[in-house]
Parts: sequence; structure tokens; C-alpha cells
Amino acid sequence: MLVVRDCVKRYGGRAAVNKVSFEVQPGETFALLGPNGAGKTTLIRMITDILRPDEGTIHLDGRPVGAATRQDIAYLPEERGLYRRVRTLDALAYYGELKGLRPKAARDRAMALLERVGLAEWALKQVQTLSKGMQQKVQICTTLIGEPRLLILDEPFSGLDPLNVQLLEDILRERRAAGATVLLSTHQMNKVEEQCDRALMLNRGHMVLYGPVRQLKRQFADHSLSLRADHVPDGIPGVRRAERVNGDFTLALEPGADPQAVLRALLERGVEIESFNVASLPLEDIFIKVVREGLGLDQGRSGPPTVDEPLPAEVGR
Amino acid sequence: MSLSWSRVFTIARREYLTTIRRKAFLFTVIGLPLFYTVLMVIMIKPQISEAIRTLRTFRSLGVVDSSGLLANAPRDIRTETDAGENPFGNASPAATQVFHAEVKFYPDQVAAEKALRASEVNQVLVVPADYLQTGKLRRYATTTNIFSSASERPVTRWLVRALLDGREDSLRIERVARPARGLDLYALNNKGEFELHDDRREMFDFLIPFAMGMLLGLSIVIGGQYLLQGVAEEKESRILESLMCTVTPDELLAGKLIGLGSAGLTMVGAWVLIGSTAAAPGALLANVHIAPRLIALAVGYFLLGYLFYGSIMTGIGAITNNMREAQQFSFMFTIMNFIPFYLMTTILGRPDSGLAVGLSMFPPMAPVAMMLRLAAPTGSVPIWQIVLSMGLLAGAGWLAIFVAGRIFRLGLLMHGKTPNLPEILRWVREA
Repeated sequence: MLVVRDCVKRYGGRAAVNKVSFEVQPGETFALLGPNGAGKTTLIRMITDILRPDEGTIHLDGRPVGAATRQDIAYLPEERGLYRRVRTLDALAYYGELKGLRPKAARDRAMALLERVGLAEWALKQVQTLSKGMQQKVQICTTLIGEPRLLILDEPFSGLDPLNVQLLEDILRERRAAGATVLLSTHQMNKVEEQCDRALMLNRGHMVLYGPVRQLKRQFADHSLSLRADHVPDGIPGVRRAERVNGDFTLALEPGADPQAVLRALLERGVEIESFNVASLPLEDIFIKVVREGLGLDQGRSGPPTVDEPLPAEVGR
Repeated sequence: MSLSWSRVFTIARREYLTTIRRKAFLFTVIGLPLFYTVLMVIMIKPQISEAIRTLRTFRSLGVVDSSGLLANAPRDIRTETDAGENPFGNASPAATQVFHAEVKFYPDQVAAEKALRASEVNQVLVVPADYLQTGKLRRYATTTNIFSSASERPVTRWLVRALLDGREDSLRIERVARPARGLDLYALNNKGEFELHDDRREMFDFLIPFAMGMLLGLSIVIGGQYLLQGVAEEKESRILESLMCTVTPDELLAGKLIGLGSAGLTMVGAWVLIGSTAAAPGALLANVHIAPRLIALAVGYFLLGYLFYGSIMTGIGAITNNMREAQQFSFMFTIMNFIPFYLMTTILGRPDSGLAVGLSMFPPMAPVAMMLRLAAPTGSVPIWQIVLSMGLLAGAGWLAIFVAGRIFRLGLLMHGKTPNLPEILRWVREA
């Protein structure tokens, strides 16, 4: 279990991360969200012991992060690269050796991983001959080779085609089943909704949202409708945005808009409605709302604004 | 600072192997000595060959004698080259070559010039009436080049013989023409005995300090450049952040220093092997002996100098954003390492002078300067100076690695603007 308590990191007097506390359970997929410059990378660097917090503590499985936990954490940074002029197998095996594997074991495991991601035939080719997507898969493999207990992935899906996205999701599922924890930092909110049990959102170094994803969505739900209908005309009062997803419409409502009034207006405009739900708001809209309205930044104090119930015991188990 | 030595070793091994497996490495190992050999042959061979060629093509000399001093002069000029003068000749370099030229007398300068224009003679020598009083002579030729002086030698010797002819016996004339030809120099050797001074030995006396200093300087710079390239490349290609979750900056720094230093040593080792194989016959002839103490000190100075320069290069690699920027910053440090070579005449000539001692104490120049002093044929450096110089260099190396480690820790993750000095100082304080 990863436990972060009251972590603060300042740069030249400005707090990049301010009193951040959260826990991530074993086997859980946890989302770390926030706009650019919110402090996510600084927080991750503290968890990976690249940076030391000015205040607060970070523990993994009861041990403070540092030399003792180094083998248990793997990190795929957003800005990433590989040694280009070496063979793919060697580049990957090097990470394995650094994670404490013997050279032979590192090569075996590297080969198995390349097979798993469909790059076995590229093992002896130089990294620079691989396509961007292939390199991305090799980079993901570098984080997997040490079989870490905590896997921190920053935008792991970027640059991958849908098939490879599926492959990566399968691999992460396998790792979670084996007891690994995944900390996912991404701006792809649909991935967070699909993959993550819980989420933490930072804004300007502060925690502004923290809790189970489903609960966060429910909390903001009064602002969204889900509709199965033949069409949705423009200009319905209270509807900020209509988006068609797989034949259904998601209507984002303006603050304070009454869903019943929207339904009445739709019927009056002659829309044929098959089904109508007061839906949860897309996470993306919650994200935009929280950042734009500066929610959770009151009194410069950090902390989740509303969701403060205990962690669900069943998470990841 | 707790290091995992197995990780340091893994990093060092990777750095070493990837470096020495590069084509550029092999190219430098073989290419650089080859380049210098070819350069030397291209530069020196024509110079010597041209002098010999001048002697060979100098077949006849026209003489206009207004002084009457040369009436009975020999009609043949005989010139000998000394043994070893033409190492590039077809004949054995040890052999003496003899050249002959004919002397033709002309009644006046007009006739002589006509003969010269008609290529009947190669040159014309005009001896004025007052030659004995003034010593003034005039020489005429159809062309000149920078090696014209080569043809002066036969003319001078012929004049000596002509002026003395009949006044002295021929043997004496021969001696006067070249009085110091067989002059041997005996000098005190390191055993306190006077020993015949060998010209080849003299060459090695110069070459060995030069080569040792150059190799030491080069190996430090090459190791440093590998570090600079490695760090700058890794930074440019954004490899470091994912590595640094697994290894500490200190481990990365230590692994790189060890691995790339070894690669630099391998290159120098290969050069020493190539060089000593090529020079061995000459060195054996000249009874050249390099003291084991000198080699041990060279290794010591390499390690300390490399630590000092390597740390600085690593720091530069960590604060800059790409290779080009890194090269610009590192240039002045590289130059500093080689400054003692510009002052080589002083250091080798007077190894105990204030300048030589001062340079060998100043850490950025100490390795090369001290190597020149130690290897200088007349030098005997007091032990305390060696200890002090090494101590200062070790201190500077420790400081450099301490500062570089801190810059490295922060600089590796910084991208964008290259920090200025106050920012770098802040990093050193805060890291």
C-alpha cells in the first residue's frame, strides 16, 4: 500500500505540491489527475524518490520510499526515451539488470516481454529502427521487467493504436491481478473512467478531488443527462452541450438547470425519446469545472472538497 | 551517500561496452595514429627529399672570378650527406651519399648569365674583386624555392677548398671545410657517469615527455568528452527520468565515471601499444628506458585528472540541453588541460622553474605539467611537490565530484533554458 502524508515540495518559495495526502491500495488502479503544472510530476518524482519532499512522508508497504523501495517501483515518465543505438533486447535487459536481475535472467525476461507485446522479431534490431508506437511498447516493457509492486504510468496510452491500447489494458489487468498497484496519470478521462477505481485531482499543488471515480461522477451528476432519441435540436434551454456517443446523447447541463425542464423542452420540440436518464457527468466535464471554478482551493488549504468517506474495503481485492 | 555497487557496475559495464563497440571508437583508435603518421610523412618527407633532390640536380656551377683568388680552384665539387640525413631515401639511411658538380669559369658576368639562361650551368657564382676585404658574393639562379639553401652547402665547401688550395695539405683543408663533423658529446647520465650522447636518445628524451604528457592529456579529455556526450545524449533523449526511478544520480555518476574512464584508458592503451610497437626498434637502439615510477605516476595523475575533468564535464552535460551547447561550455576546460604544452619549452628546459612548479600545482593543468616535468631528461621533481600536486588535484577532484553530483541530481530533470551561474549555485546549495 502506498501512503502519502502531508507532502509539501517548494520551489523558490512556491509550493508545487502542498499538503497532499492519499493512499493507494494494493491491486488498485488509481488515477492522478490535474491540469498542466498542477504538481503531478513533482508528486510522482517524490514517490519515486527522485525528489525528496520538504515536508511529509511517503511509505510503500510500510517502508519509507528510498533505497529500500527502489526495486519495487517502476515509472514511465511522460517525457521518455530509450537508448537508440542499441539492440532492443539489450536496451530492455539493461533495465532488468538495474532492477537487480542477473544478466541471463534479465535477457530471458526481456525476451518474454517482447513476445508478450508482439515485438519478438525486433529483439535484435536497433531501437532506432522501431516505429514510435513500437518504442512506446518497449518503454512500457522497461517498467514491467522488474515486476514492480507499484507501477507509475504517465500518459501510457499516448501514441498507441486502439489494438495496442487494448493490449496495454490487458497487461495492466494481469499485473493488478498479480497484486501490483497501478498509478495512472493521464488526461484521457475516458481511460480513467474505464480503468480506475479511485482518483486524486491536483490543482496548483492542492488536492481538489479525491475518492472513488463512480462517487465523484455521482456527486456532479445533476449536471448531465443521458438520452436515447432520434435527434437533439440546438437551443434547448439549460443544455450547454450535446454529444452523441454510440447512438445515445449525453447532454451536459448548465449549472442549476432542471433535468425535468430539459425533458419537457425536448418533447415540446417533437423529439422522440426512447430512454432518459439523469446521468453522471463525464469526468472530463468534472475536470474542467473543478479547474475553471477553482474548486477546493479555498483558504489556500488543501483537501478534497466533499468526498471524505473511508476507502472502500473491497477495492482491488 | 549509499551506493549499490552492483548497479554501479551494471551501468559502468553498459557504458564501457556501448562506447568501445561504436565504429567511431575503432576509427579513433586506428585513425588518429594513422592520421599523424601520414601527416608527418607528408610534411617531413618532401622537405628532406627536396634538399637531396636539390643536391642531385645541382650538376654545374658557373664562376666569374674578378678577385683572382680562385684561379687554381678544383674543377669539381664533391658533396657528401651525413649518415641518417635522408631517412626516406631509397638507400639505407645509414649510408653516405656523394654528389658531384662541375665548375665552369666565365670571363665576365654577361657570358655567365647567358650560359645560365641556356641552362648550361645550374647556378652562377660571382666573386667580386674586393671579396677578400668585404666577404661579399653574388649567386644567380633561374629559380628559387624555400630549399635554395640546400645548394649553398656545396658552394661553401668548394670555396673553402679553393681559398686554401696550395696553402695547406688536403687533409687539413678537409677538416677546415667541416671542422666539427665528428664531434661527440658526452653528458652525465643518471648514474653519475659521462656517457656518449646519442642524437636518437636526444629525440627520445624529447618525445617521451611529450608523448606521456600528450597521452595523459588526451586520455583525460577523451574520457571527459565521452562523459559529456553520454550525459548530454541521455538528457536530450529523455532517458534519465525513467532511469532515475531505479538508480540514484550518484550511482549513475559513479557508473559513468568508471565505465567511460575505462573506455578512455582502453583507447590510450591501444595507442601506447601501437606507438611502442612502431617505435620499439628505435627505442631499443637508443637504449631508452621509461621508469616504472613514471608510469605509475602517469596512472595516478590520469585517475585524479580524469575525476576532476570528468566531473566537470558531467556537470556541464547535466546543465545543458544538447550536445552543441555542451561542447561550447566544455571547450575552455579542454584548452586549460593542454596549456602546459604551449609552455613546453620552458617546462622541459627548466623543470624546476617557478612557472613549471606553479603549473604542476594548479589542478586543471597539474596532470600534463607534472608529467612533462617528471619525464624531462634533466628533471628531478622533489617528492613533496608530487605529493602536494596530487593532493591539490585530489582535493579539486573531490570538490568537482561533489558539486557535479549536486548539479547532476537537479540538472538531469531540468529542460529548457540553460541555467545561469546564480541558479547553478542555488542548485548546489539546495540539492
